[in-house]
Amino acid sequence: MLDDADTKAVLSAALSGGGDFAEVFAETRRGRNLRLDDGKIEELVSGRDRGAGIRVLRGRQTAYAYTNVLTREALVDAARVAAAAIQGQAQTRVADLTTATPAVTHPAERDPLAADRPALVRIVQTADDAARGVDGAVRQVTVLYADATQDLYIANSEGHRSTEQRVRTRLVAQVVAARDGVVQTGFEGPGDAVGHELFDRHPPDQVGRLAAERAVVMLDSVPAPAGELPVVLAAGGGGVLFHEACGHGMEADIVAKDASVYAGRRGERLGTPIFTGVDDATVAGGWGSFSFDDEGTPAQRTVLFDRGVCTDYMSDRIRAAQLGIAASGNGRRQSYAHLPIPRMTNSFILPGEDDPDEIVRSVANGVYCRSLGGGQVDPASGDFVFGITEAYLIQDGEVTTPVRGANLVGDGPTVLGRVDALGTDFETRQGICGKEGQGVPVAFGTPTLRISRITVGGTG
Amino acid sequence: MKDLQQLLDGIVDRAGPGEHVEAYGVDETDTTVKAYDGEVEALSSARTRGVGVRVISGGRVGYAYTADLGEAALAETLDEARANASVSTPDEANVLPRPDRDRPPADMPGLYDPAFEEVPAQAKVDAALALEAAARGAGPPVKGVDSATYGDGVRTAAIASTTGLRGSYTRCDAYVVVEVLAEADGASTSAYGLDMGRLLRDLDLEAAAAEAVLRATRLLGGRKPASAKVPIVFDPFVTASFLGVLAGALTAESVQKGRSLFAGRVGERVGGVHLTLVDDGSLMEGPAAAPWDGEGVATGRTPLIEDGVISGWLHNSYTAAKDGTASTGNASRAGFKSPPGVAPTNLFLAPGDEDQQALLARAGTGFYCQQVMGIHSGANPISGDFSVGAAGLMIRDGQLAEPVREAVIAGTIPEMLTGLGAVGSDLRFLPFGGGMGGATLLIEGMTLAGG
Repeated sequence: MLDDADTKAVLSAALSGGGDFAEVFAETRRGRNLRLDDGKIEELVSGRDRGAGIRVLRGRQTAYAYTNVLTREALVDAARVAAAAIQGQAQTRVADLTTATPAVTHPAERDPLAADRPALVRIVQTADDAARGVDGAVRQVTVLYADATQDLYIANSEGHRSTEQRVRTRLVAQVVAARDGVVQTGFEGPGDAVGHELFDRHPPDQVGRLAAERAVVMLDSVPAPAGELPVVLAAGGGGVLFHEACGHGMEADIVAKDASVYAGRRGERLGTPIFTGVDDATVAGGWGSFSFDDEGTPAQRTVLFDRGVCTDYMSDRIRAAQLGIAASGNGRRQSYAHLPIPRMTNSFILPGEDDPDEIVRSVANGVYCRSLGGGQVDPASGDFVFGITEAYLIQDGEVTTPVRGANLVGDGPTVLGRVDALGTDFETRQGICGKEGQGVPVAFGTPTLRISRITVGGTG
Repeated sequence: MKDLQQLLDGIVDRAGPGEHVEAYGVDETDTTVKAYDGEVEALSSARTRGVGVRVISGGRVGYAYTADLGEAALAETLDEARANASVSTPDEANVLPRPDRDRPPADMPGLYDPAFEEVPAQAKVDAALALEAAARGAGPPVKGVDSATYGDGVRTAAIASTTGLRGSYTRCDAYVVVEVLAEADGASTSAYGLDMGRLLRDLDLEAAAAEAVLRATRLLGGRKPASAKVPIVFDPFVTASFLGVLAGALTAESVQKGRSLFAGRVGERVGGVHLTLVDDGSLMEGPAAAPWDGEGVATGRTPLIEDGVISGWLHNSYTAAKDGTASTGNASRAGFKSPPGVAPTNLFLAPGDEDQQALLARAGTGFYCQQVMGIHSGANPISGDFSVGAAGLMIRDGQLAEPVREAVIAGTIPEMLTGLGAVGSDLRFLPFGGGMGGATLLIEGMTLAGG
């Protein structure tokens, strides 16, 4: 993308204002999005984006300039703009560049860009047919196929140089079912840092069928109860809870600003002794995986909670320096148009030793959540809310009537202390996490787990 | 380098026989300054350009985009869009809009102020620092400032099409947003304040900081409320968030696809006579003001609910052709990478004549909802059910009283509209997904759930 002479010219210009550190992040991104709606191939969108961001650091200051004109001249100009925002004497020199070798790679076996347009059409139509075949109550089916191929180049004034190709493929089915005036939705959306081998594990017909089954089963739902109840989260279904309630507060930027309920609490026992949570960007082909983060730090596995004890934060270069810890390889950005900030990758609650069925049987009166929707958290207080998208009552240890229209409301540290059973099973789900206006792919994974008591905000 | 309009003209000129081509381009420059703890934490500046091409041929539509504006890349993008069209399902509603001589786009010179270019970088840095200092300077119980940002941008959008649409406009914007952290008795709260305008000189930094401080500090010491069915007064920020959900049910796209609880209900009463909901992309004071929409159609005023009765939907050219009506100028674009969708512009409830104090007095005993959490997951625009986390203050004797946290408000959108007792006089546009009109609302008989 850039040769050494270009890179050195850009980094030198970037340091001309007195920065301690300069970096260039360049990428091209090719991608296709195909949308099937109501049986129609509505649109196929394809495109090529590209650009580079030049970052200069000096003490606690950051200057950033980006452009999508990738000539040496335009990049040097952008570097000068960034340099001008830093006021000082030029001192730092650009070290000779050495290529960093990745410890983990996530190669795509079947290049999605090699699939022709009719092949993509068949994928979404297969999912659509399967969804429609589930039940006459299925009213609307939307299927989205997306692939992205990102070629990255990262180099910095300390002599780091790395390149990486990240390929991601995802298939999402959304189904609306209606009967007797009741309307419900269902969703299934597997994705990974892989090519079309995704469809070996998640065949398109299965994706469509699962989404439709979820919508149809919820047609018989009754309004969810309100109040504090024991809740069992199905394997995978609880991942977003961990992400929102514990993950965000463990991101080092929030910690460094003392805006997290977990700030200053390393070494403290917050969770139950069975609770271990990790963030792991090295998972082979994981939706949130990579070889290097978006500032060139190698991917790694970070233990956030070790048997209930708050352990390590997720950091990027700047926040690691502020907190006096090693960068954990969590510096991520949506694109060249964004500064890297600490983000989760694949965050997992590790499985425990309980039989998943036994966990359900242990609850006399509670709620079984198969799937949670999006959520939101106030990191300062730890308060969170999750929408429940598929849930059932548990009555005398049996999963019974589906319930709808509920939220789980609570705060992270309290919930960590109430996770009192963890299953031996494990599943992951995928999403796009938004923070400071940047969306990045993240995966969540959990076993079946029980929360002894949590506020269920229902209307019943 | 040719200017953007010329590049677009060049693409459209290459349209083949029987083929319609639209080229849409953006060119923008943005600056952001973040202050933290008395210093500039980050300064970012950017220039991005790109072009998106839509091809319609035999009722089939395809789209492709590029950030590379070289001749070869543009030609390739047109070819891609053509090939993408070849696999789509034909639909005669796939049409490009034509220039409408009776309703040409308004001239909106006020969207751009040449003084924008004269604002020195140092003044932007000083603004971010002053904003941060004003919020931090409030003292305890303010514990710190999570972020204090000044941002501005100037953006040119241009369009050309084989139907004869051609034009460009430029708008500039500046904003500040500050998030304050407060702490007392070991519990923390956070809240933000903001202001927007055309340029730095339009912004009231002190007021934005004071707003964040007030909103964060008054929630301190919040407890779970007792569950009750009570009048709820929505803070303007909450109103703006709910309008975003309501908007999802009022686009012709969701109606046509059976994804709206309002489908088939034009002419039906959904609320009292004081309920009037309007979208207006030509409203200069709104954050989404523009002379034309994402496919070149003039923006304008579209009533969606008038005096409590549903009066229509938001349309782009596609949904309008499907319904045999005219586009309302609500084609939306998330930049050059996206084909036109349908979305609100500046959406607001017609203001009433009572201020917030009067609405609190009318509530008597109730809940003032200052923040909602999880609205996008907790509110379903199809079924109309919602259940969202909430924080705010109890209302006692018509006054704001003790703070509340970890509450849940739940109900259905139709119940909420029916229960709407009054819209406050305090309309203020907020940049939530377009421009949403914030105003205080009084809603009767909603469920407030606690622990």
